[in-house]
Amino acid sequence: MNMWNEWTKRMGREMGLVVALLLMIAVFAAIDPIYLSPGNLLDIVDQSTINGLLAIGITFVIITGGIDLSIGSIMAIVIVSVGYFLTKSGMNPLLAIILGILTGAVIGIFNGLLVTRFKLQPFIATLATMSAFRGVAYIITGGWPVLDIPQNFRDMMDGDLVGNFPVSIPILLIFAIISHILLKRTRTGTYIFAIGGNEEATRLSGINVNFTKVVTYALCGVGAALAGMVMLARLGTGEPAAGQGYELYAIAAAAIGGTSLAGGKGSILGTLLGALILSALKVGLVVVGVDAFWQYIATGAIIAVAAYFEIIQSKFGGYGKKWFGKKAG
Amino acid sequence: MTSKPIISFKSISKTFPGVKALDNISFDVLEGEVHALIGENGAGKSTLLNILHGIYNEYDGEVWISGQKISFRNANDAILAGISKVHQEVSLIADLTVGQNVALGHEPKKGPFIDFKELHAQVEVILRRLRCKFKSTDLVSTLSTGEMQMLSIAKALFHRSRIISFDEPTAALTENETRALFEIIRELKANGITVIFISHRLDELFQISDRITVLRDGKYVGTYPTPEITREKLIQSMVGRDVAAFAERKRPGLKTDEVVLEVRNLSRAGVFENVSFHLHKGEILGFSGLVGSKRTDVVRAVFGADPVTSGEIYVKGKKAKIRTPKHGLKHGIGLIPENRKTQGFVANLNNEDNMGLASLQRFSILGFINRKRKVDSCVRYAQELQLHPRDPYYMTYNLSGGNQQKVVLGKWLTTQADILIFDEPTKGVDVGAKAEIYRLMEDLLAEGKSIIMVSSELPEVIGMSDRVIVMREGRVVKELRREELNEEIVLHYAMGGTERKP
Repeated sequence: MNMWNEWTKRMGREMGLVVALLLMIAVFAAIDPIYLSPGNLLDIVDQSTINGLLAIGITFVIITGGIDLSIGSIMAIVIVSVGYFLTKSGMNPLLAIILGILTGAVIGIFNGLLVTRFKLQPFIATLATMSAFRGVAYIITGGWPVLDIPQNFRDMMDGDLVGNFPVSIPILLIFAIISHILLKRTRTGTYIFAIGGNEEATRLSGINVNFTKVVTYALCGVGAALAGMVMLARLGTGEPAAGQGYELYAIAAAAIGGTSLAGGKGSILGTLLGALILSALKVGLVVVGVDAFWQYIATGAIIAVAAYFEIIQSKFGGYGKKWFGKKAG
Repeated sequence: MTSKPIISFKSISKTFPGVKALDNISFDVLEGEVHALIGENGAGKSTLLNILHGIYNEYDGEVWISGQKISFRNANDAILAGISKVHQEVSLIADLTVGQNVALGHEPKKGPFIDFKELHAQVEVILRRLRCKFKSTDLVSTLSTGEMQMLSIAKALFHRSRIISFDEPTAALTENETRALFEIIRELKANGITVIFISHRLDELFQISDRITVLRDGKYVGTYPTPEITREKLIQSMVGRDVAAFAERKRPGLKTDEVVLEVRNLSRAGVFENVSFHLHKGEILGFSGLVGSKRTDVVRAVFGADPVTSGEIYVKGKKAKIRTPKHGLKHGIGLIPENRKTQGFVANLNNEDNMGLASLQRFSILGFINRKRKVDSCVRYAQELQLHPRDPYYMTYNLSGGNQQKVVLGKWLTTQADILIFDEPTKGVDVGAKAEIYRLMEDLLAEGKSIIMVSSELPEVIGMSDRVIVMREGRVVKELRREELNEEIVLHYAMGGTERKP
């Protein structure tokens, strides 16, 4: 009983999200049973990979109390540069992927340095780089898309593994598992939570807060790079305009997943479920034939409802009470 | 002068998580008097004022004003009822004018717009009455601290308050400003306004107050007409036996001759200058001084939390480069900071995470944390520190003040630091936990550790220290040996007294 309590306390948020996801699937399936077909379910997961990768990356940053608005633009830079590595330089696709990941990390480090060295507020720093990085992506290609992405790269990042099962799903899962372990089992992970909870106390515990923050922006850049490369493989062309507005859906997925924008709280599993809920909703609305314009409203409603549940849970639920409890001691 | 009570506190009690802040307080404040409220830190003075001013609206007991029972929902209710507060740290909007701040929320209107002419005219009348040198149209950002306080008083008068309370109004004032403030308080009194006055400075209370109420550890001790009580009697009733008895060395003489830390000519431009001292193994070195003496700044710099401009630090005879807390940690120095909530522990972490935070390097292999070792270590220190509850998974945030302090201390014990800097170790901690913390400090000395203790509570500094460094305005003015210590001599040097024969 005690263990069950502990477990529900720890997993309360995630359990709630699973229930919400299942409920949503049940409602759509009741309206149109085709929603439950394997092809459609696969489609839901498939549609969540790009957002999922972005959202996992940004989760690190948000837990420290920061934000990264530039991830859509980082995606674009990675898309056009990897596109050029593959087409202009004729680079080995595996090498191009590794270079793509590094590009994302380096750009993330740049964001991190703006926030730590130059003490810019994360929102402002990445608002600036969101615009600047977008410009860089356009300059790289002169505004033109990169065409004819070789098939071997496309197979590596988004080809079919078995049947219709795309390789991008295991990519997302591997990134998620590594991220989860990093967050829950390593020193850096603990520091990330500690910084989000109380930056000054963390610094006064002899921890290099700035370094840890830069690491989170680098990880965020890696997430954006992976998302960009999946997109590049999926579309077969590299658009410098790609990924605009994606940062907002990534933030939405993290927020639905219980990551607090005030910092100090969040989980990779939650974020992943958040991304799944968003795509289950999107696919569902298409399947039951809801007008595209209404999808935006539904997405907005989901975000607001999730945030509201978060507040209720903080007030009355398991660990929420322990944190902010009126009834302490 | 016999006047009727304007405020009656009847059996007021107020409990915060883990602490009983007020315990059955009853007394009257008479109309038109200057009523001083004194007590040690944590005696409950501010809590009582916050109840009077509607800031806390949940408490046991009743407050009666002018014969009517009141129940304010918030601070604004109190202001409308004619009860104003002149804040310790004045909360003003710097980018608005004096007049706008004074009238904030109650501006005279002309149609839908603020009638600025009328507003400034009204405020100007009050400012003249207070003999302020600034004008209603001046920006608040151009005022000095003392002037801002005048502004607060102006605000109280603007609301036609009958009762005005001052919480440590002179803490940040110069001597001249203090004198001017007292003039004004006397004038308020002459106009029939009742003044409640909190201060730690006894001289001031004797100058200004008609009656003095003493609180101790949330309990009412007594109310005395000022002319009928002596300074000594007052201190006695304030301190009681409680704190003085606890802040006493049970085991003196643990001090050795070995120097573990030496600081030479440490300076930080504009803050402190040429601070030198040394710390022996097994001793408690106290740092005393008034507000603004920069004691905390010095010890934070020694730990690496704040930058320095020049000077050297030697740890165990070797020169140490300490520029960040990480360096402090590396050299075996730990800081238990003044404010636990903002600097000491992390609210979203539990006890074992908080205690392990500074030592994760030791608990991990290739960056992966060995959770079992971390929890075991936490359990061990929780036992040693008598943490309550001893649960390593309990959220530190929900512990009482004293236990939170133990978790922060536990964090540094876990790092195996030899030099521990306690900044106000018993601030906001109840009496029982205070005694425990003093015992722990002695235990640490016995284990061969050394302690620097910054404290504003004189009985604590005098009771616990082997030596005391007295600071004033960023300089060390005197070093006192244990046998020389008493409240009077420490205060003498802290307040700028010169060398004298004891």
